[in-house]
Amino acid sequence: MQSKLSDIELIEASLSGNQSAYADLVRRHQRFVFTLALRFAKNREDAEEIAQDCFIKAHRSLASFQKQSKFSTWLYSIVYTTSMTFLRKKKLPTDYIDDENTYIQLQNYAGSSGNLAENRSRSYYLNEAIGELLPDDASIITLFYMGEQSLDEIGKVLGIESNTVKVKLFRARQRLKEKLEKNLKSEVRELI
Amino acid sequence: MKTIEEQLWSYIDGTCTTDESKAIAELIAADETWGSKYADLLSFDQQLESIELDEPSMGFTFKVMEGIRGEYAQQPLKSKINQNIISVIAAFFIISITALLLFLWVSVPLGHANMSNGLPQQLKHAETFFQNPETKFLHGTTLLNIFLMVDIVLALFLTDAYLRRKKASKQALRP
Repeated sequence: MQSKLSDIELIEASLSGNQSAYADLVRRHQRFVFTLALRFAKNREDAEEIAQDCFIKAHRSLASFQKQSKFSTWLYSIVYTTSMTFLRKKKLPTDYIDDENTYIQLQNYAGSSGNLAENRSRSYYLNEAIGELLPDDASIITLFYMGEQSLDEIGKVLGIESNTVKVKLFRARQRLKEKLEKNLKSEVRELI
Repeated sequence: MKTIEEQLWSYIDGTCTTDESKAIAELIAADETWGSKYADLLSFDQQLESIELDEPSMGFTFKVMEGIRGEYAQQPLKSKINQNIISVIAAFFIISITALLLFLWVSVPLGHANMSNGLPQQLKHAETFFQNPETKFLHGTTLLNIFLMVDIVLALFLTDAYLRRKKASKQALRP
């Protein structure tokens, strides 16, 4: 069961030594942190490792959280930097992901999670197309639509100006639309 | 110059000014191209809004909390100790040792000629040492007290450092 306390109240309780308060914070944000990590890592095991690492890092520097921005914004900036470090360590390009390779990984992921037919919903195709985007594009879309972050907050997370975020978001949506249309067309062709 | 799509996205996101918003709303209502493009983008936006978040494994929170507990366990003892308490204990010992030394210095009549016959051999040597014209200046001066104090503190510090190093090397050797 999730706590009804605000993030700030949970942080204060956690700083005064209440471990279960931090566990509540983790439960509250774990889905988004994991999803954002998955945009970079492209497989569940690595994404979970990144997400765990982020929560441990956040706990370590919880006292330095200034409370001037939302806790989620601060946490997502940790996720972004940790994910970028992960990509660099794995020597994966941070600005370009091999589409073919990504597609194979996505297929594996879909296959392992059970019924493929069930997964092939509109949401599945969208997630698949997001997975094919560059990590930066995918993270901007994820932060804007799923993380409920404003353009300013996304700018803080990614360390860029909000105007740049606006332009990047526009381009990311364009690319996503193109990928989605391409994937759906090939799917229709397969069915015919 | 902004494209139709750019303007429509600004309108959907609510990032354009009131005047721009009014103008775009009029164009959507009047122009068919704008209208159909708007409907298309709005539908895409709603699809994006409806994407569900991925779920990590069941034991995710537990693993995170275990990681945090593990990190606490790995922390050196030094970081857990309140430095103020250590300072108070150190001050207590330094004052006690200093007081003891001063007390001994005052109590033992090294410079008293009549008492020298009753003193142990070592103290007799010490008396001779202090009676020597070259070293006489040391006797009863604050310089010697300071010298002894520094020596004691230095000895305690070095012993502490040595014991810490020994403990650390023992811990490092453990599997």
